Amino acid sequence: MQIKHGLISCDSHAQLDKDAWTKRMSKAKFGDAIPQIRDTTSREHMIHASDKPVQRWFVNGKVVGERGTVNCPTAMGDPMRKTYPQRWEEVPVFVYDPAERLKALDRDGIDAEVLFPNDPVQSAAFLQGDAEFELACVQAYNDGLAEYTQVSDRYIPLALIPYMSDIDAAVKETERAVKNGHRGITMVAEPSMVRKQFKHFNDPWWDPLWACCQSLNVPVHWHAGAGIALRVPRWKGYTANQGQAMGPAGGFSVQAQFIPNLIFSGVLDRYPKLNWVCAETGIGWVNYMLETCDHEWERRHLWTQGILTRPSELFQRQIYVDFWYERAGIELRHKIGMKNIMWESDFPHSTSTYPESRAFIDRTLQGVPKAERDQLAYGNAMRLYNLA
Amino acid sequence: MTLKYGFISADDHVQEHPQVWTKRMSKAQWGDRIPHIERQSDGSECWVVDGKKIDLSGVAIAGAAMADRAREPQRWADVPSVVSSPRERLLAMDADGVDYSVLYPSVAGRAGETFGRLTDPALELACVQAYNDWLIEEWASVSPRFIPQCIVPLAPVDAMVKEIERAVAKGHRGVVLPSVPMMLRDVPHINEPVYDPVWQTCQSLNVPVCFHAGASRDIQFPAYSGFSPEIASALEAITRPVSTVLVVANFLFAQILDRFPKLKVVFAETTLAWAAYELELADHQFERQRLNTEGYDLTPSQLFKRQCHFVGWFDTTGLKTRQHIGLDSILWSTNFPQSTSTWPESRRAIARSFEGIPDNERHQVLAGNAAKLYNVAVH
Repeated sequence: MQIKHGLISCDSHAQLDKDAWTKRMSKAKFGDAIPQIRDTTSREHMIHASDKPVQRWFVNGKVVGERGTVNCPTAMGDPMRKTYPQRWEEVPVFVYDPAERLKALDRDGIDAEVLFPNDPVQSAAFLQGDAEFELACVQAYNDGLAEYTQVSDRYIPLALIPYMSDIDAAVKETERAVKNGHRGITMVAEPSMVRKQFKHFNDPWWDPLWACCQSLNVPVHWHAGAGIALRVPRWKGYTANQGQAMGPAGGFSVQAQFIPNLIFSGVLDRYPKLNWVCAETGIGWVNYMLETCDHEWERRHLWTQGILTRPSELFQRQIYVDFWYERAGIELRHKIGMKNIMWESDFPHSTSTYPESRAFIDRTLQGVPKAERDQLAYGNAMRLYNLA
Repeated sequence: MTLKYGFISADDHVQEHPQVWTKRMSKAQWGDRIPHIERQSDGSECWVVDGKKIDLSGVAIAGAAMADRAREPQRWADVPSVVSSPRERLLAMDADGVDYSVLYPSVAGRAGETFGRLTDPALELACVQAYNDWLIEEWASVSPRFIPQCIVPLAPVDAMVKEIERAVAKGHRGVVLPSVPMMLRDVPHINEPVYDPVWQTCQSLNVPVCFHAGASRDIQFPAYSGFSPEIASALEAITRPVSTVLVVANFLFAQILDRFPKLKVVFAETTLAWAAYELELADHQFERQRLNTEGYDLTPSQLFKRQCHFVGWFDTTGLKTRQHIGLDSILWSTNFPQSTSTWPESRRAIARSFEGIPDNERHQVLAGNAAKLYNVAVH
């Protein structure tokens, strides 16, 4: 892959076409449970009431996402970013067509993008029905996304794994997906908090998956809250805008809590060459995590408890975080770790820097020496994903 | 009073002794529901309130004073006297260079949450009053260097108000209130105007409302059952301060600070390391959602700087962002006697944290802000 613009987005969202699942899954076996777009007039399926039928994704007969057909407000031409497509034909083609999307990448000055899922693939969307159904949904997604790489090597797709089958199925699916062009997996941060019957992240039950990713040299990814719900109950008195302002303002608390668990889990020591990417984290708070982990490690002599390496060193050895708009966080880059910070556009979600990513990165990295700028803007990503 | 050491520790914890409640509550009325220590079959002891074991990993919070900082004492006989005795505590403060110590509870909950979980308001009030009386009688009366803060019953709201008035009249200087009462039992959301008399009372009595980290485990990532106690308690010490982010994010948008512009708020045991980022992020969200059109006069960071405080203890990088947080909004502590405490090396920790910071700013963070907040006359 050639670097032309000097920018790689390490967190973007790929929308699959509307027939991605219906054309890949057996109608005879799964019937109407197959993920698909359907018309609905139910008020419960809309944030804003509409007289006309709207279209929504349905998985196993249940609606996913009440805001719109697809989460792509940054691509809708609304400067307030409050417009969501309500029918499939309103979704801009460059959101789901990999050839058209390349033009959007060039408009925004981006060389390559790491692809996380978009609708209807949310953390628990496929945890429905039985293990066979889940696996079929996951495989259809992974196959659909792998087709992006046939269009261009500028796409860096991440595969989903099945949870409801045994660990061998997750390993096999990872191997299959990587063979088809995937460059990593994305998963929930702590499976037993999503479904009680799943094994805890720290349980050695998962070891075969970590071993597999390490040997294939593909990182494991957690996106934002990664399916973990820790929240103060939402006050009924908030308006929609107030609620939307308040929620994300506390969001990093969750990542700042589950990444220390990774650091203390022993997984990093057992798999010292396996990398972990925490996407859509922001970086301004990362220093909290490093300082407290080191402080507690020192205060409690945790080297006597099997944590042989200083937590901040473990972080710098194997964990990656993303920024997109912060300036103050960039001032702390050497403290956090120059090789651990990557850039993201979050296209096509509402916080995205698209289509002004160049202006954002110039502003955010103002005064940063060229070599460091290149490292943050694309160098670290090239190394992590082995992009020649 | 002249400060000898130049340091008011704004977040420390008292240790309630076994007779705090049994001595003050009527055995005839409450029987075994009174908070007390029980011996368990393995020989260890635990606190029991209203028939339930409370959420404490030993019989006291004393890690900093234990030979092994990761192990809380499992029997009362093992609790170090620097933790439980006010006179010994004064010596421990001298050893660590602390002039005044602002007191939060331990058995009653780091954030004052233990009795909020009770469902019988009469029992809750009796337990709360016994604690508040004890703290004045056995700690505050021993030395003016202890700054006592009361705890409150969560419901009904007028009981909360009455207890604040009673306690402040007795000498309490701050109000420890669990930040998420609605996560402890079936009471209104903290943002509901039904609590306005509480904010009004604290504002007019000029006592800060103190939200200490750890009010609910449900906003903390649970420690893995396979962890050793040492690692589990380290993780808990890391998740607890940053769980307050969720509380702060809500509070900055709740419009309580807007309605009560002279109300002072302390978010205790937060660290300073995420503070600047949180204020920046809250302002960013405020602007994106155009909340200036929805009845807010100030941005979240302006509200914060006007009325709120964060408390640091080991921070170095966080102090570098002090201008973003607001120099008036930063307090310092030793966090004694929790395991995470800098005691007995707080002088060294402070020297490391404040290296290169001008003397006047150092004085403001270590003593000036807390003196103003708690009306401590210092020269």
